[in-house]
Amino acid sequence: LVFPTDENVLIGLDRADDAGVYRITDDIALIQTVDFFTPIVDDPYWFGQIAAANALSDVYAMGGIPKTAMNLVAFPAQEMELTILRQIIQGGIDKIREAEVVLIGGHSVVDKELKYGLSVTGIIHPAKVLAKKNLRPGDSLVLTKPLGTGIINTAIKAGLASAELTDRVTRMMAELNRDAARIMGEFDVGACTDVTGFGLLGHLAEMVCGSGSSVRIESGSVPVIAEALEFANMGFVPAGAYKNREFREKMTVCAETVPRALQDVLVDPQTSGGLLISVSGSQAASLVGALQAGGIVDAAVIGEVTADPAEKISVV
Amino acid sequence: VSLKEIDARGLACPAPVLQTKAALQEEVWPGIKVVVDNAASQQNVQRFLESQGYKTTLEQSGEDYLVMGTCVSKPEEQPRLSPAPEAHVKKIMVLCATDRMGFGDDELGLKLMISFLRTLKEMGSDLWRLVFVNNGVKLTIDGSEVLTDLKDYEKAGLKILVCGTCLTHFDLLERKQVGETTNMLDIITAMELADKVISI
Repeated sequence: LVFPTDENVLIGLDRADDAGVYRITDDIALIQTVDFFTPIVDDPYWFGQIAAANALSDVYAMGGIPKTAMNLVAFPAQEMELTILRQIIQGGIDKIREAEVVLIGGHSVVDKELKYGLSVTGIIHPAKVLAKKNLRPGDSLVLTKPLGTGIINTAIKAGLASAELTDRVTRMMAELNRDAARIMGEFDVGACTDVTGFGLLGHLAEMVCGSGSSVRIESGSVPVIAEALEFANMGFVPAGAYKNREFREKMTVCAETVPRALQDVLVDPQTSGGLLISVSGSQAASLVGALQAGGIVDAAVIGEVTADPAEKISVV
Repeated sequence: VSLKEIDARGLACPAPVLQTKAALQEEVWPGIKVVVDNAASQQNVQRFLESQGYKTTLEQSGEDYLVMGTCVSKPEEQPRLSPAPEAHVKKIMVLCATDRMGFGDDELGLKLMISFLRTLKEMGSDLWRLVFVNNGVKLTIDGSEVLTDLKDYEKAGLKILVCGTCLTHFDLLERKQVGETTNMLDIITAMELADKVISI
């Protein structure tokens, strides 16, 4: 396919980044993104919050400030009470308000399967766009949320997760990446993305491919929801994790000492996951310190960018 | 000796492992055979059975994977398959329709109200919405004795809603210092979503 484009497209479809970026003036570029999906939690209000946080995240991952949002709704009006839809949208609105974004429209269709999400528009200075692939050898990689939500969601379906765990993970998924993005803005950051459906290694692979660098991940330093390891050992690993691993098998070298369950967590599809930040190595510790002081307590340095031009991911 | 057989062909993860789990919850089968048609499900089922005290073997025939499990652990060694019951984090909404607690002495009522709002934090993360209507909105304006406390709540992530009609009625719209100005529909939606509404 040939995509229409012009000289003001700073990041378009050919780059497969978190969001598209279009220059309006020398000082302002638009960031545009859209995301919607089927319910991942039972509570409609929380589903609305999570879907909104997830859609907003792509703008934060580009280093931008989200400004406006529009609802996208597919609703089985015949089978479902309208109050459910109202609760979903209320969840979305509460999240949008928290992000200091305005809701200025939307569109709904009748569909067999319920879906909800947002299209989000943000702004950024054209020179400050944080693309995915600007990895610099010597940079450190920082992750801001723990991994394992896909496995936990599978365990929830199996009726194995406690109410406390369900609640904890729900809140984690609904957490905006706004504060992490704001704090990141004060440091020398080369590249950033958010971790979602392809899992940590899948999104890392997108950063690495075409960057001319390689990365090395210290698996023991990666923040993980502890229960996810337990449930992975019991076989509650979503199909997406197996697909993610297979898809990036050729460029990934994993040490045999990395436990099987931890390997699963590294490819586990995340919903509304954290930011994956490539920051100047000398500033990594202070970035993590600032993130933790700002309430992002799980943030950690998980690896580094190496000069190896083979574009590989090694996990030790 | 009874052998449980599960045909989970045509199903993607996590359905096959969920079926296997359901079978083990029904009964601890001495032997179990699960047929799946994809590698991911095969690995999940095999890992699940091994985590439950089964020894497993794998056979492949065409597109199908046959996972055979033999129970090798004693029943008392079986890991539990359901979570321990726990208290769920609730969504509690507190509706303050007055700036005094109770009736009778006004001075005492105000003291009680201040103490009530300060002690409310003991609800922890269960406290979800704090809504002020009628005379209650006077607690959110400049000069209110609980203003700092309310601001601390808001900073900690609690959503505070203040009735706009009431602020307008008392001509206090400009003096509100904390919370979001709200309307009746928002208040009703919050009541609908809350697990519990406490009205003062």
